[in-house]
Amino acid sequence: MDSQQAKVQVKVLVLEGDAQHAEVLREFCESKNLVALTVQPESLVQVLRSSIDLGALFLAEDYQSHGHQGPALAQELHRIRPELPILMRRVPGGPELSASHLRVLRHHYQPGDTESLAQAVRECLFSLVYPESLVRGIGEVTKEALRGQFRDVSVMAESPFIVRDRIIFGEVYSLIPLEASWCRGYMMLQMEEAGLRRLMMHQLGEIEVEQRDSIRAINNVFAETTNLIWGAFKNRFISYDDASLSKFTQVPIVINHPQHYISFGSEDPQLCFRYHLFDNPFEQGEPIEVHQRFVFNLSWSPELFRENESSVDSLFASGDLELF
Amino acid sequence: MAQILVVDDSSTVRDEVAGFLKKAGLDVSTAVDGRDGLAKLKADPRIKLVISDVNMPNMDGLTMVEKIRGELGNKTVNIVMLTTENSPVMKERGKAGGVKGWIVKPFKGDAVLPTFKKLCE
Repeated sequence: MDSQQAKVQVKVLVLEGDAQHAEVLREFCESKNLVALTVQPESLVQVLRSSIDLGALFLAEDYQSHGHQGPALAQELHRIRPELPILMRRVPGGPELSASHLRVLRHHYQPGDTESLAQAVRECLFSLVYPESLVRGIGEVTKEALRGQFRDVSVMAESPFIVRDRIIFGEVYSLIPLEASWCRGYMMLQMEEAGLRRLMMHQLGEIEVEQRDSIRAINNVFAETTNLIWGAFKNRFISYDDASLSKFTQVPIVINHPQHYISFGSEDPQLCFRYHLFDNPFEQGEPIEVHQRFVFNLSWSPELFRENESSVDSLFASGDLELF
Repeated sequence: MAQILVVDDSSTVRDEVAGFLKKAGLDVSTAVDGRDGLAKLKADPRIKLVISDVNMPNMDGLTMVEKIRGELGNKTVNIVMLTTENSPVMKERGKAGGVKGWIVKPFKGDAVLPTFKKLCE
């Protein structure tokens, strides 16, 4: 990954009907490393409802779609994708924006005021600064891990990008914690199950994949891929002297939606509770179920278990104010 | 009866490593975590080499190593760690526990096979 590829990009949807303003925005986006996408007004809702990854919406006040325009359209867009910041170009002399309209706009600006627009973009899209060596390094260790796991495949990385949505790609994903003095969070890996199966077929051949318990095999390969990347990330970016480095082991959590499957990396049983909630005082009709499960996969020493006496008391005193 | 015990929670790694070693003519058995590894080693005195991951559920690899030397009192079995971890602190802990070698994943069988064979002698 060269330094140009290591630059973080953000895709934005530009909803602008005026050719002159559209050109100004195109130049603005280019200068800010934003990838400007456009859409036909009649397809706008459909595009937003798809899983397209976006960082923001640039909306002109006089842009029309599905019978809505300006702030009313902004409200509709916000209803569909509430996580996306909306940056609206005002029409000079337009009516004052109401409080309910202002609530859905991240920023509004007069034509030509690219300075305030740039400030808003900085705040809402680049509020976290990702060091270039980190961005480049993540790409490098991941490509190496993917090549290590799926031999004889060629791996190409797109330019990294930022999204604000919470949409999951594909059906199989994993989670593993990342902890250091400079960060605490998770790495997620997301894939389509069919793609993962194809990679396994490529490596092992159809017969061998089918001979194995293929669902578990697929999820295991995915977990190991996560583990390889996670290990490489830690070895490259987390100082061995880091006092905040977790002393406890971690294993990836893998979720496979079509199979209703979640793995914590072990065959441990899960302690389950099931609750039935009734939305009427007579406990009649179909109950709403809540399932609760505990899995003690990383460590389990029941001989050390003790209940806190104060916690038992607090069951009766919950809601009380304890003054010190 | 096995000469080599491969301990890894990932069936992908177990299959890959054990498959490679079997093809090379070695007797191999597998364990799914440190707890299982400890039990298998206890049950099979012919095991000469343990190849183990570090990060595993139930019991991690380094705790298993310490228990092999301590609880089992087995001072002779050779142990090599095969892990994504590369921390000097962990390596130091492994060394103190009697680990013979440390491999950072991914597994490159051809490069380590002669050493593994030697450790099985």
